[in-house]
Amino acid sequence: MDQTINFKQVTHTYQAGTPFAQNALSQVSVTIAGGSFTAIIGHTGSGKSTLVQHINALLKPTAGEIKVSGRTITPATTNKNLKQLRKHVGMVFQFPEKQLFEETVIKDIMFGPKNYGVSDEEARLDAKQAMGLVGLDGSLQDKSPFDLSGGQMRRVAIAGVLAMKPEILILDEPTAGLDPRGHKEIMDLAEKLHQQQGMTIILVTHQMDDVVDYASDVIVMDQGKVVKHGEPKDIFSDPEWVYDMHLDLPSAAEFACRLITAGVPLKTIPLTIDKLADAIVGVIQGGQSHE
Amino acid sequence: MSNFLFGRYLPGSSWVHQMSPQSKLMLSFYFVVVIFFANNIWTYAALSGLILLVVLMSGVSIGYFLKGIRPLIWLIVFTVLLQILFSSGGHVYWHFGPFSISDTSLINGGFMFIRFLLIIMISTVLTLTTTPLAIADGVQTVLRPLKKVHFPVDTLALMLSIALRFVPTLMDEMETILNAQRSRGVDFGSGSLRHRISAAVPLLVPLFTGAINHAENLSTAMEARGFTDSEHRSKYRVYRWQRKDTISWAVFLLIGILVLFIRKS
Repeated sequence: MDQTINFKQVTHTYQAGTPFAQNALSQVSVTIAGGSFTAIIGHTGSGKSTLVQHINALLKPTAGEIKVSGRTITPATTNKNLKQLRKHVGMVFQFPEKQLFEETVIKDIMFGPKNYGVSDEEARLDAKQAMGLVGLDGSLQDKSPFDLSGGQMRRVAIAGVLAMKPEILILDEPTAGLDPRGHKEIMDLAEKLHQQQGMTIILVTHQMDDVVDYASDVIVMDQGKVVKHGEPKDIFSDPEWVYDMHLDLPSAAEFACRLITAGVPLKTIPLTIDKLADAIVGVIQGGQSHE
Repeated sequence: MSNFLFGRYLPGSSWVHQMSPQSKLMLSFYFVVVIFFANNIWTYAALSGLILLVVLMSGVSIGYFLKGIRPLIWLIVFTVLLQILFSSGGHVYWHFGPFSISDTSLINGGFMFIRFLLIIMISTVLTLTTTPLAIADGVQTVLRPLKKVHFPVDTLALMLSIALRFVPTLMDEMETILNAQRSRGVDFGSGSLRHRISAAVPLLVPLFTGAINHAENLSTAMEARGFTDSEHRSKYRVYRWQRKDTISWAVFLLIGILVLFIRKS
């Protein structure tokens, strides 16, 4: 099925028509290509989370429409028959370990598939497969999810989403509060799902290093609008603009900028550590950087 | 739920906003008592006029105010209908079995309608113009005399302010969990009663465990910051009695006395 997500003039206002009304998205038009690894960045309150919650119709637009998985979501869309859409679009919320509730790990992971009418045995197989994907040891399956460590709980929660076999996976700050190792494991998992299973990954993050390391597309949001959409190198080519958006540069780029200020003749701003190393080697070997 | 006004705070800087919370609380309580003394058209007119003045001075638009109390209107209409249909006396216009409509029952029903409306209006004004924390402080001040009979006023006030502080946090968490479970294919609010009750489990269990975690973290953090008991504390927010309070009380007392004089004895 076509995995392209198309936003057309989408506006979302929270609590419309009251003094508490808040405009979270205004006239957003953007296309997220199927099979891409798209990062959505922007400072706090810029509408990132609101945007992604439209993709599986948890929120419906106040105006405009969204096309996803062959469905069109408009302000008039009712809550009926959204289940199928939500099976296609897996959503991992911030701190997903808060959603665990069953007595055992395996039951919790089976919960999603069973809601879609999969038989017990099949759900169990799906759950075991998902546990393998996220790197959870099989011996944990009969433990209570509340006995696990924070990092393990998060993996159980992510496995619960993956067990539904979504085609589009939305990760809303999946590594917030994890240690560096847990962080890398989760990000590598996203990369693996993207490469091996062709999943469309949408990542909401504040970590610019993850953006350049993993994403192929970047959407920058500011005050409820999409202000830029392109490849990481286009987005970070203008450091001034990035700082204006209250965002950071990837650490390699930031270091490169300091080198340039200090008089090292780098020709481009490298975004990853490897490219930075190459560029520095280039300068040393005769004043020419690669690329 | 989103246009339900009762119990919400609307920031502002009006006369009503600036009054001290303890005097607003007592004033609302006093007003509700006075409402029950009203029994003819003039007394209700005086009280309605007063409430209208209060709403105007609170700076909340009346249209929005009325929209906000609309969800409660069915409850009121239902009660008023019962009153009209089941009370007896006076000139009877229509009757059928146990039901009857007479002029007294119509008048009583009308009064009851106004009475409900006035009580809802004054309490909505109170919550709209007072932050939850100020209300907790107000309750503490108002209940202070109960300390004499060893009622744990300070502990109650502390619990109240913590509870009020966590209402929006828990609401947010509920929203997130609701959305997370929806994404996993749970259908809330449809199907048979049994189905709906079992759909609540994936919502309630995480909500409770979350609340227990909050309680644990909060108590640890409080102890780490030197909290030992709620008796021996100083206060950061101090609400003083102001001229505004005196004037408001004077007006309310005057209207109260007026009501006592013009009520049908």
